[in-house]
Amino acid sequence: MIVVACIKQVPDTTQVQIDPVTNTLIRDGIPFIVNPYDSHALEESLRLKESHGFRAVALSMGPPNAEATLRKALAAGVDRSILLSDRVFGGADTLSTSNVLAAAIEKLAQEDEIGIVFCGKQTIDGDTAQVGPGIAVRLGFSQLTLVDRIEKIDLAKKTVTVRRKLEGRYEIVEARLPAMITVVRELNRPRYPTVPMRLASAKAQVELWNNEVLKLDVNTVGLKGSPTWVSRIFSPQRSEGEILGDGLKDPVGAALLLVDRLLEKDLLAV
Amino acid sequence: MQQSLFTALLIASLVLFCFSCYRRLSLVAVGTGEYRFDQPLIRLKEMLVYAIGQKRVVRRPFGLNHGVIFWGFLVLALANAEFLISGVFPGLSFQLLPKTLAGALSFAFDVCSLATLVAVLVAAVRRTVRPPFPEARTFEAYFILGMIALLMTAYFGMHAAEIALGKVPAGATLPVSSALAGLLAAPALAVVLPGLPETFWWLHALVLLGFMNFLPFSKHMHILTAIPNVFLRTLGRPNCQEREQFAEGNRYGANSIDQMSWKDLLDSFSCTECGRCQNVCPAASTGKSLNPRLVVHALKENLLENGRSVTTGRPAALIGSDCGQSAEASLWSCTSCGACMEACPVFIEHLPKVVKMRRHLVQMEAKFPEELLNFFENIEQRSNPWGMAPSERVKWASQIEVPTFEAGKTEYLLFVGCSGAFDARNKQVTVALTKVLDAAGVSYGILGKEEKCCGESVRRLGNEYLFELVAQQSVEQFRSKGVTKVITQCPHCYNTLKNDFRQYGLELEVVHHSELIKELLDAQALQVGTVQELGDVVLHDSCYLGRHNGVYDAPRATVLELTGTPVKELERNRENAFCCGAGGGRMWLEEHEGTPINKNRVQEALAKDPDTICVACPFCMTMFEDGLKDHAGATTQVKDIAEIVALGLKGAAS
Amino acid sequence: MTEAVKAKKPRGRARVIPGKCAACGARCQSACPVDCIEMTEAGEPVVSAEKCIGCLKCVKVCPASALEMFFTPEEQKILAELAQAAAPEVDEEELERQRRIAPFRGVWVFVEQNDGEPARVSWELMGSGRSLADSLDVELSAIIIGSGVGKLAQEAFSYGADCAYLIDQPVFARYRTEPYLETMCYLVEKYKPEVVLMGATGMGRDLAGAVATRVKTGLTADCTGLDIDDKRNLMQTRPAFGGNIMATIMCDKYRPQMATVRPHVMPLPERQPNATGRVLPESFAISESSIFSRVLEVITDKSGKDRVDVAGAEFIVSGGRGLMAKENFAILEELAGELGAVVGGSRSAVDAGWLPPDRQVGQTGKTVRPKIYIACGISGAIQHLVGMQDSDVVIAINRDPEAPIFEVATFGIVGDLFDVVPALTTRIRELKQARA
Repeated sequence: MIVVACIKQVPDTTQVQIDPVTNTLIRDGIPFIVNPYDSHALEESLRLKESHGFRAVALSMGPPNAEATLRKALAAGVDRSILLSDRVFGGADTLSTSNVLAAAIEKLAQEDEIGIVFCGKQTIDGDTAQVGPGIAVRLGFSQLTLVDRIEKIDLAKKTVTVRRKLEGRYEIVEARLPAMITVVRELNRPRYPTVPMRLASAKAQVELWNNEVLKLDVNTVGLKGSPTWVSRIFSPQRSEGEILGDGLKDPVGAALLLVDRLLEKDLLAV
Repeated sequence: MQQSLFTALLIASLVLFCFSCYRRLSLVAVGTGEYRFDQPLIRLKEMLVYAIGQKRVVRRPFGLNHGVIFWGFLVLALANAEFLISGVFPGLSFQLLPKTLAGALSFAFDVCSLATLVAVLVAAVRRTVRPPFPEARTFEAYFILGMIALLMTAYFGMHAAEIALGKVPAGATLPVSSALAGLLAAPALAVVLPGLPETFWWLHALVLLGFMNFLPFSKHMHILTAIPNVFLRTLGRPNCQEREQFAEGNRYGANSIDQMSWKDLLDSFSCTECGRCQNVCPAASTGKSLNPRLVVHALKENLLENGRSVTTGRPAALIGSDCGQSAEASLWSCTSCGACMEACPVFIEHLPKVVKMRRHLVQMEAKFPEELLNFFENIEQRSNPWGMAPSERVKWASQIEVPTFEAGKTEYLLFVGCSGAFDARNKQVTVALTKVLDAAGVSYGILGKEEKCCGESVRRLGNEYLFELVAQQSVEQFRSKGVTKVITQCPHCYNTLKNDFRQYGLELEVVHHSELIKELLDAQALQVGTVQELGDVVLHDSCYLGRHNGVYDAPRATVLELTGTPVKELERNRENAFCCGAGGGRMWLEEHEGTPINKNRVQEALAKDPDTICVACPFCMTMFEDGLKDHAGATTQVKDIAEIVALGLKGAAS
Repeated sequence: MTEAVKAKKPRGRARVIPGKCAACGARCQSACPVDCIEMTEAGEPVVSAEKCIGCLKCVKVCPASALEMFFTPEEQKILAELAQAAAPEVDEEELERQRRIAPFRGVWVFVEQNDGEPARVSWELMGSGRSLADSLDVELSAIIIGSGVGKLAQEAFSYGADCAYLIDQPVFARYRTEPYLETMCYLVEKYKPEVVLMGATGMGRDLAGAVATRVKTGLTADCTGLDIDDKRNLMQTRPAFGGNIMATIMCDKYRPQMATVRPHVMPLPERQPNATGRVLPESFAISESSIFSRVLEVITDKSGKDRVDVAGAEFIVSGGRGLMAKENFAILEELAGELGAVVGGSRSAVDAGWLPPDRQVGQTGKTVRPKIYIACGISGAIQHLVGMQDSDVVIAINRDPEAPIFEVATFGIVGDLFDVVPALTTRIRELKQARA
């Protein structure tokens, strides 16, 4: 049985700074990293490899330099790393991205049965949380989003039980395998690669699947297959921090001001 | 009869002794190679000073006592040689020498025996009343002392009985024995007296041969290994670690004896468990499981247990909780302060062993305290410990003009360091330092956003692979920018730029700001006035400035210049200074065991009732500021040496 | 005149405007029909001028307006001449687009409910849905799926809906993706709305992503602004790149245009209890036996707040050295109780034994990203800041105006926390009582 981890190489958005003069993004020197949520997906796939003997495969769609991300997956211990890269895949929104990933998973399924596909709950650059459900729907897999704990996997009954973390509540859900699971950070603690694994991964083969391999209709992938497009990018209004009232002389007044501000911003659920 | 019996015994003993020594010492060959024979003359000198001269031994309480025993034994070695030789060839003795010389030797032997006996008794009393460390009252220790005492007693018995019987004349050459002879001549002993010389002779012989054969199996082995161990010490200071070779199939760090160097293994035979290392260890003395003595001891036990089977199979792990192992938690407690190595009379190098085992944990097993995961990833991906954006690195300079380093235009690179660039408190130090440099007209520039963490903590934490990446990047950067002279405000950066980067072929002229300020003051480039508001100043020596790099005087001289009075010395100062708790990568770790190290040091400082605690390291700054928060009423302030100087700048009216 | 006919219209060459590229992910390269764009390591395009045929596709597709057409002076001259004789071109693509989207009419808001309890964001959406529907001159419909949820229709009307599609069957008692997905797709295909809005909540994002994939349309996540352009298209504005930039996303060629909207962003419309509307009962045949997932248990935070991990908390009240003593954490607990928050703390608070270690926020503790982080008596050493600076809103209460915590605070109060915090608690309690 195969467990798949879908991972994405993203710019480290925590390193992004805004030029205070032009109010534009300073992209200089921003490193590319594995999407943090995806590293938890990767970790969970490795744990299933260890606990259930699944074969772990890492998949990533991206430009050729996303190979680095897949090498990290190899260093962490996946059995196979596959880069889905083609000129025609570029400029994809979530709908066409899930198309390519789902096609790749289907291709894998010809080799062996797929047990679980893990995705991060969202990426830090796009923040959409839509690719996971897209894959699940396209493949007809059970869809379990925002999972913070795998309670049980029953291979005999082909079910998985998970805990989902939702606003103000948790749900324990049982679903049929194969399943697509998106994970939150609390699920696990990603491992750090050992040096021998790192060195081995530098030489290991990252497979490249382009559209000659996947044979998808070019009108359903990349920019052409994307119903949404970005018409404009602009810098958000930035508010400087604000010191409220005189908390030393009038603490109650300052507290009232604060509550007012929070109410204005609709941040207080009262 | 006596002669042939003794000869047989002696031969058997010597064979057995040599065999035991060979069995044990040959185990050292299991270790990895390391070259320790360079500069033999210097080594010889060091050996004479530290081993024969006992320089470090006598520095601590009861050290002189050990000195007496050691020097006594050096003299008595002649006596014992004579004893053994004349046991086989009865005619052969010092009596064949000219009379005055023989007399002088006899006198020396007699006096030294007494001195040794007294010293051994003192040692036994001390061990009982105020042991060097709590677990020191072992059978082995008392047994060794007992054997020495017995040897001395037998020696006196032998000579006193002969004098009492009139076989040897009493006199000034044997003052102690002569005095004792009076006792043996007591009428009550008249019956046994004729047999006493032989009895004592045999007692002496048996104790001597027995003790000799006990040696290789005990901690007393150090009398054989300590002297060569001093000869083979690291010349200079063990302030950085060896590089590793990263290639497929290699193993990294050490989790078995064959991954330690032969010198590491020899160290383990040289330890006589004096406990000085554990007494000065900041971890051990604040209730943590790390005990440098036991790290070395465990290595020895492991070696003895597994040394033979190395070739046949993978020997047992060095890291673990069994006999012959060091616990993971203890390895992570080390602050790499180097106090243990400074205290060790025989130059055992504890720190490299700890780092080797950390290297194994990090690199082979990816096992480390969970706080470090973020730390390692931040260093690798974001080039600073906190994962801040590169542009945050220059925020400290947003209100002032700081030039960018440019070879040819600026003389020094001011390497700000991560703490000095990101940490709110230490940013103030950086600003103060630039004021001082500007006032002195020093030509310097910074790397700004391009500066990267030097990787100091990474290396001490055993992530050598990551350090290799970091170091290569930095070295490349320094080279391409033409950096040759560097000012650092962090002793950790200082040590890494100066000592670690040398292994990558980069020789920099690195100066810590406390040294540079001292130079500037001496050269009168810096005009300072007396600063009243500092009050009484105590100085905390940073480990990586002091113990690891020998800078002790510069900050003291500077404070003197600024306040007009010498700093008040803390109880533990200079070579004996107590770590703040942040070294060895501990800055990034939680302190789960025992009591906090920084509180211990803060208490020590407050005992001197200072107005100002002067530090010269951003990590120390953080640890002291944190530790002081526990003392709500305390008005004591912590100041970096640069801030103190900035306060005294002439013309700095504000 | 004859000369003008002969002159071929120059198409120019595309070129990159320095400094404007946002490395969006090679849209230009993907759009180029002649493969004349290569991407650099940094994700920026390099246009090969010899190969460019001036088709304009890359220029049109660039979200950052980082590409422009470049004409030589001679070409500009010809263009100027041609411009005088130009006739409007008929755009076949545009006509096709209009034909495709024409059947779709109406704005829908999915009413999210859990156990019959509606999510507040649904009513917030009803407000923005109302203004979109008014701009488009169409009806605003509420989509209510659940079991025993009939009463929500009236609620929806009171927040502005014209009508409500109501599917009320026991099988929908607990949200599960499959039955909700099937039902939504059935409704969309049957009634063809042009805009579908859902809350960007756990449930909304789970469902919207699935529905959009099934009906093969565009979905924009986590919007903070919605508007209609002059061609009846929905302009969906949302933060991207970790909130560092804003992007306006269009889905003009497909319908419905779907969006999830961030909670607490759109104002809650005033409730009109007397408003009326049409209830349109619908049913969808789906049997329990055909559904392969079951919700075995629901655990609410309220049943065990102490078990909640501070790393995942949405509201955190945090205390540091300024609290002075363990028992003083009671005032933080009180505030946390009112806010439904978890109490956390700085390293020094944990070191002092005032809090258990699993509540520590910072470099060596937990990294948190709550909606609101209230730092009380925390100076803000970098070890702490890196653990909480990504919170949506940071509120700092500290006596020392120089404390670094104020550098990252959205709102700061310089004052004694022992005065400010209880005042805050009291105020929020009053407000809650007034609303209840």
